Amino acid sequence: MTGVPSDTADQRELRSSVRALLEAHAPLRGQLSEGGSPWERLTAEMGIPALAVREEHGGTGATFADLAVALEEAGRTLLRAPLLPTAVAAVVLQDVAPQLVGPLLDGSSAAALALSSTLDTVPWAPGADLVLVVTGDALLLAEQAQVVPLEPLDPTRPLGRVVVAGDARRLGGPEEAGRARDLLHAALAAECVGAAQRCLELTVAHLKTREQFGRPLGSFQALRHRVADLTVLVEAARSSAWYAARLGPDLPVAAPLALATAADAFTAVAGEMIQLHGGIGFTWEHDAHLYFKRAWTTALLHDPRALRRLAFARAHDQEVPGA
Amino acid sequence: MTLERFRAEVRTWLAEHLTGRFEPLVGSGGPGREHEHTDLRREWERELASGGWIGLGWPREVGGRGASLEEQVVFHEEYARAGGPARINHLGEQLAGPTIIAFGTQEQKDRFLPGILAGTDLWCQGYSEPGAGSDLAAVRTRAERRENGWHVTGQKVWTSLAHLADWCFVLARTDPESQRHKGLSYLLVPMHQDGVEVRPIVQLTGTSEFNEVFFDDAVTAADNVVGEPGEGWRVAMGTLAFERGVSTLGQQVGFARELEDVIEAARASGLADDVALQDRVVEAWAGLQVLRHTAVRTLSSDAAASTGVEASVSKLLWATWHRSLGELAMVAQGPSSVVVHGGLSPLQNLFLFTRSDTIYGGSNEVQRNIIAERHWGLPRDRA
Repeated sequence: MTGVPSDTADQRELRSSVRALLEAHAPLRGQLSEGGSPWERLTAEMGIPALAVREEHGGTGATFADLAVALEEAGRTLLRAPLLPTAVAAVVLQDVAPQLVGPLLDGSSAAALALSSTLDTVPWAPGADLVLVVTGDALLLAEQAQVVPLEPLDPTRPLGRVVVAGDARRLGGPEEAGRARDLLHAALAAECVGAAQRCLELTVAHLKTREQFGRPLGSFQALRHRVADLTVLVEAARSSAWYAARLGPDLPVAAPLALATAADAFTAVAGEMIQLHGGIGFTWEHDAHLYFKRAWTTALLHDPRALRRLAFARAHDQEVPGA
Repeated sequence: MTLERFRAEVRTWLAEHLTGRFEPLVGSGGPGREHEHTDLRREWERELASGGWIGLGWPREVGGRGASLEEQVVFHEEYARAGGPARINHLGEQLAGPTIIAFGTQEQKDRFLPGILAGTDLWCQGYSEPGAGSDLAAVRTRAERRENGWHVTGQKVWTSLAHLADWCFVLARTDPESQRHKGLSYLLVPMHQDGVEVRPIVQLTGTSEFNEVFFDDAVTAADNVVGEPGEGWRVAMGTLAFERGVSTLGQQVGFARELEDVIEAARASGLADDVALQDRVVEAWAGLQVLRHTAVRTLSSDAAASTGVEASVSKLLWATWHRSLGELAMVAQGPSSVVVHGGLSPLQNLFLFTRSDTIYGGSNEVQRNIIAERHWGLPRDRA
């Protein structure tokens, strides 16, 4: 089931080559045990971070929607490499500090994106060469940031506390900061969709093969209907993420909405993945908990309810409390 | 013609025609309100025909306009925005016509399509039966081929607009020895004859727009079978596939208006300041955006690359969303929502009628089975 009907012809090709690469070089388990990462191949060879960067800045001038397809695929395997923040940072920086973009495209540098409201818990901060801080009214480059690595609940995504030491360099104002936040949200939505889709596929595969009471679990209507409801959640999330990734003029509404929809779908599917696998889904050796932890930590860091209220307020030109 | 010019043309025509004697139709009809202004809506259908707006997406060679998918969406959006009344012959234009175009003979096309395009022949759908709702293949209405044509006997139910219709497309068992999907035929049966009786069903809204239809030795010509006798299931399923969602975006214009009414009701009741209610309003609003994103994505998708899951996903999404909106509509009004002032208010009607959304056109449960079986290939439940 690799076909996604809303893919363009180029995206179909991109999807299948990224998937093939990740299946060969970054299977979920392989990444965990060896600490290995297909970073080189994804960056220098395939040029994923360059996809949505304009050619004048060394990018390939494809679209953010194309990048989103690659990030979906990264979500499928819970890629243990800072592809998402690095690629988003490259897109953001090309407009405000293009001289910083180059090293992000060829894999020599990795970025972390920190929201000022959650500086104590920044994904991918450990190991980042460059830390962008997004506040309510400014986009900052924290040149002397100190990162304190933390033990993450989600073992597939490093986490650190960012201490902005010294003066941070101001790269942009409220508009640039808002744009950076929206792009991060749109990217995370795509990642959630890919991961949720994978949860669903693994769950269906289990229901087809696991037999109880002399028949496959998947023949019980109670379970089939739950799979159908999860499918609706994932397809709806896919729609919103797809819509946001087109970066239309309503991105400030579409992006937080997409992440809210996708993060909620992902937590629901990952939770049901454990339940529908039964006892095996509760074990450390099964992958279900990795998806479950990625899903919940994403939702807990970004708060779907708040994102929805933000989107609503923006759509209705209202003041957003606390934004 | 560019899409924007087309949009302007639609808008202008509607502004010029949905006025004067048609003024009372603005915002009328539709699910839960199909009983409103039926005579005037018949006239309106002919008015639309005179403007060439019927059969917009039909091919030119059968008298349609051959409009693109995008143009059809634009028409539905503008129509909804102008408050155009529910189309009294949507079953003719959206189901009977496309089925005849896809599966009918040249004679059938010549005989039936002009009446739909002219807005003169109204149609209803004879699928569901008391014993064949979600399990449509359990159809028991029989049709027997005799010298003067097909003789139809049986009972259909939930037949909307049957009391107004001139024709009914009927799924009937023509092979008495057959079972399930085999041996069914797709017959076109005239409604104005002695062997057809229509009885309205009083719904939980207190109004009637669905009917029971009793066929007691009703007759239709031998030629009035679409597809070969015995192929009725394939034809009927083909018909369902035509509901591909060009009207969805127009439908959502109406949903957005309803949501605004709900928000207005919350302001009037003072509940708009309640954080819990705000969250529900935000959820409803977000759900509507997701419906729109889903419709836009489906229309941009390559249908050939799909398992067809979109139709079921879309039905489950909108029906469930709309039903929740109906509940929210009552909560937003506060306790005054329980008082009826000489007939249901629009929000009370929304609340009650939306219980049917998750049942008709393939219930939520049927849609879930379709997703499980056709999209995921999960085995059937045969306990």
